[in-house]
Amino acid sequence: MARLSYREALNQAMCEEMERDDSIFLMGEEVGHYQGAYKVSQGMLQKFGEKRVIDTPIAECGFVGVGIGAAMTGLRPIIELMTWNFSLVAIDQIVNNAAKIRLMSGGQFKMPVVFRGPGGAAGQLGAQHSQALEYMYANVPGLKVVMPSTPADAKGLLKMAIRDDDPVIFIEGERLYGVQGEVPDGDVVVPLGKADVKREGTDCTIVSWSKMLTVALEAAEVLAKENISVEVVDPRTIKPLDGETIYQSVRKTNRCVVVEEGHGFSNVGAEIVARVQRNCFDDLDAPIERVHRMEIPMPYAANLEAMITPDVPRIIAAVKRVMYLPESKPESKPQSKVE
Amino acid sequence: MPVWNIIQAVNDALRIEMRRDPRVVILGEDVGKFGGVFRATTGLFDEFGGDRVFDTPLAEAGIIGSAIGMALYGLRPVPEIQFADFIYPAYDQIVNELAKFRYRSGGQYPVPVVIRTPYGGGIRGGHYHSQSPEAYFAHTPGLKVVIPSNPYDAKGLLLSSIRGEDPVIFMEPKRVYRAAKGEVPEGDYTVPLGKAKVVREGSQLTVLCYGAMVHTCVEAAQLAEKDGFDPEIIDLRTLLPLDTETVLESVRKTGRVVIAHEAPKTCGYGAELAAMIAEKALMSLEAPISRVAGFDTPFPYTLENEYMPSPDRVALAIKQTAQF
Repeated sequence: MARLSYREALNQAMCEEMERDDSIFLMGEEVGHYQGAYKVSQGMLQKFGEKRVIDTPIAECGFVGVGIGAAMTGLRPIIELMTWNFSLVAIDQIVNNAAKIRLMSGGQFKMPVVFRGPGGAAGQLGAQHSQALEYMYANVPGLKVVMPSTPADAKGLLKMAIRDDDPVIFIEGERLYGVQGEVPDGDVVVPLGKADVKREGTDCTIVSWSKMLTVALEAAEVLAKENISVEVVDPRTIKPLDGETIYQSVRKTNRCVVVEEGHGFSNVGAEIVARVQRNCFDDLDAPIERVHRMEIPMPYAANLEAMITPDVPRIIAAVKRVMYLPESKPESKPQSKVE
Repeated sequence: MPVWNIIQAVNDALRIEMRRDPRVVILGEDVGKFGGVFRATTGLFDEFGGDRVFDTPLAEAGIIGSAIGMALYGLRPVPEIQFADFIYPAYDQIVNELAKFRYRSGGQYPVPVVIRTPYGGGIRGGHYHSQSPEAYFAHTPGLKVVIPSNPYDAKGLLLSSIRGEDPVIFMEPKRVYRAAKGEVPEGDYTVPLGKAKVVREGSQLTVLCYGAMVHTCVEAAQLAEKDGFDPEIIDLRTLLPLDTETVLESVRKTGRVVIAHEAPKTCGYGAELAAMIAEKALMSLEAPISRVAGFDTPFPYTLENEYMPSPDRVALAIKQTAQF
């Protein structure tokens, strides 16, 4: 077991897979000579050379399309998007080509491509560079959507994503790259479609993923001091979603709060709530709450960014509401400090 | 009052608004001389000329980008995206520019663009001419999402959309473009955005639907009625902003809900409806909310009829939910 950052864990996953399998290559903006915009591909150009670590022009539609073509002809590309915000220029390639080729060809063409990059807000990047877009991709049949929250999950899930024969949307937490954690040595994988109970508890279930999971765990810690025992479930894979692990938890706690970074309307939380009410209808003792980003484009001002983003006080307030407890503190107030 | 189909109603709304307001312009693939692949812009080129109704290359990002620029300079463009499946190349323009301009400019630049686009299956269009991408747009703050089910609403909602100051994704149900007929008043009237409509009153269960699926649900209700069931059907008409009041009022009365849409179920618009109801009216519910939707596969060409929710599938969900 080694202590690694999230970014190092991702790097290790790619390097180990590329050593194992010659058909894997990495392509994207600044992945080579610059060592990655977020330094995830540090040292990979030196290790694997220019044929397998390829810098591209700033043309997402182009290099995403090239990745799809490469996958059709037998390679296993890892396509890095500098952030998922920029994937919207390439979304036609992802939705209309990557997601559909396998079915359209009657299974003749596999599509083993991983699209990876950071998602979510990272502090004063404004409306166009702070989006949480997992919802859009989760509605597209043919895609898998993976969102690790810890270094160990990041490594294990990326390995599985690379080995998968279907296109995987791999969304990394932009504010998680520096987070440290224990990562198993060697070839340890985490299966796609398996949730993980990150903290056990008995009074209320919180479902959360990526950066927001870390905020949910903080909230659980605070609530523990008030003798409220929160169970925190990390789906890890948004699609396919491991509903069963979530249902088991809700059947135990009878209460559920979903915390996510995306906007509140028509989000991933909606899908989770819809499934929980259907599968745990008689187990629920309170309405399910969703804690999410407010319904405006991300503001640039730091105090406003903090205000619209889910934080510990808002999560605590939601947990107390579903437990019918009086609120001890006011809901989150605007903060000027941003991580 | 004339009996028109949705195409005629849309065409009439465009004509009325172009006569009334010289700032309204239409652009898109084949919308000019040809009158649109579904004929929605027939005759407009002849009446208003090539400066106000013009053909574009096959370049959706360009169509929407141009429309955004025109709106910023004071026009009120109504671009057409020939099929909703083709909207993805313009996705960045819609989500990153169109939806955010008003907010990013501190309110200085509203962007009154109405994107008309036919959506949905049922015309043997295969993967690339059958998709229903409404849920992604509903997730994007700054946009409005409107889907009419009949000619009267199509005309009234389109006129409201063009007169609004914010961008609207106006999705037209192509399967019933010509099949849905109804009386449409001549001249000017509007149907407000954000107001749902109860199309069939019932006491036992609430069916939520929009667009072409309204017709499927009405048929399903007729099937269920024969077996003694009494569903209420609500046509949402506007998906964003959602008329939560009308929905919740009905749910509090019936205690049971079935949601139907063509788009894939996972993270489809029905998820938001179910979640909103479970959050706001859980204690009124006497049964789990049921979603009848397209499957989580790309839209199939050969199995189209199996993929799309049929009256039988909706009727079964109505019966099961009513008997829970």
